[in-house]
Amino acid sequence: MYKRPLQSSNGHGTELSRSYSDGELICREGESNSEMFVIQSGSVRIFKAAPAPAARGSAASEVELALLHKGDFFGEMSLLEGLPRDASAQAVGDAQVLVMTPGALLVRLRRDPTFSFELLRRLSARVRSLNARLLGALAERDSDSRERPVDSLLYSTEAKATETTP
Amino acid sequence: MIIDTRQERLVVVSDLHVGNPYSAASRNLGTFLEDAARRGYDVCINGDGFEILQARFASLAADSVGVLQSLRRVIDAGRSVFYVVGNHDIALENFLSAWSGIQITPFLNVVSGSARIRIEHGHLYDPSFVKSPRFYEWMTRAAGPLLHFYPDVYRLWTAYEGFRHRLHGALHGGGSESVYHDAARMLLRRGFDVVVFGHTHNAEEVVFEAGQRYFNSGNWLRGGTFVEIDHGQVSLRRWGD
Repeated sequence: MYKRPLQSSNGHGTELSRSYSDGELICREGESNSEMFVIQSGSVRIFKAAPAPAARGSAASEVELALLHKGDFFGEMSLLEGLPRDASAQAVGDAQVLVMTPGALLVRLRRDPTFSFELLRRLSARVRSLNARLLGALAERDSDSRERPVDSLLYSTEAKATETTP
Repeated sequence: MIIDTRQERLVVVSDLHVGNPYSAASRNLGTFLEDAARRGYDVCINGDGFEILQARFASLAADSVGVLQSLRRVIDAGRSVFYVVGNHDIALENFLSAWSGIQITPFLNVVSGSARIRIEHGHLYDPSFVKSPRFYEWMTRAAGPLLHFYPDVYRLWTAYEGFRHRLHGALHGGGSESVYHDAARMLLRRGFDVVVFGHTHNAEEVVFEAGQRYFNSGNWLRGGTFVEIDHGQVSLRRWGD
């Protein structure tokens, strides 16, 4: 048994660690930034601004999407798609995150292949969850407004997609 | 497929090579597994449990029965059995998953106490395997007959691996740093406290500066080493000590 420094002399691409104190924003919804983050310690709250109903005329509120912990990652959507942030992230207590640029992600995928497996698994779970929510929303709409049955709506959506795909 | 799990008490063994005529696992592993289950430990076989590259089918079938029966008794005792696939048993993945009760996984993220632990066989970080998996498999198969002339051929391989890693470390200015230590660092940087590999047959424990640790669970060909996880406390042990 012997001691080794954690920082490797080989380097880790352009990965770097950043520390945040309680309540500090890590990224903000709408900002253009293509980094993703892995939580090395602490917790992070993911939330989105939700406009209040117009009739009430009150200020926008927030909807918490997730509370993430050590080992969880976030921000991959902006990195992969190059689009503005879809949600905000805020440290809950002191938190340290590993920050990856697109180049650093490629280096990590080369050297840490299981990370791609975990990333794909997360995205797959999200698609499954969204499919379930879509079905639920369609079923609710169907029962509320007596519109076409859910199967019909799904078929219609599929057919439209097929028609517009070359 | 389970890759994330909470296990307070878990023993990790690797490189059993059951079916290899010189594997001690066929004789000792059953007792070890059943003792672990009695003491309330779940079990993780961290790759290369069954030897299909170097053993004859008759030998594999004969030796497997006892180990599979022991694993069944562990499961019947209410314990979980995880099987992380290694490079010697990739082809057995579907076969093992069809065998009820064993949970097959490419790697395992374990939460125990407050510790996050990655358990992985480690062959994905072996440059020889990654560069040319087919050649690596061919070489492994070719080494099979040598076992009949020199049963300790694995010791030669282990010594060669040690030399290769020291050479790698020297060339990259990292002293005795190995590719597996470097791979462990990569994993530790994304929120793990402990990383456990097998594959090299070299049982070891390395403590990094921040207190994060790397273990290798060794082998059961001539060894009998295992990694014990108990409410977040991780230690390298030898069966019988």
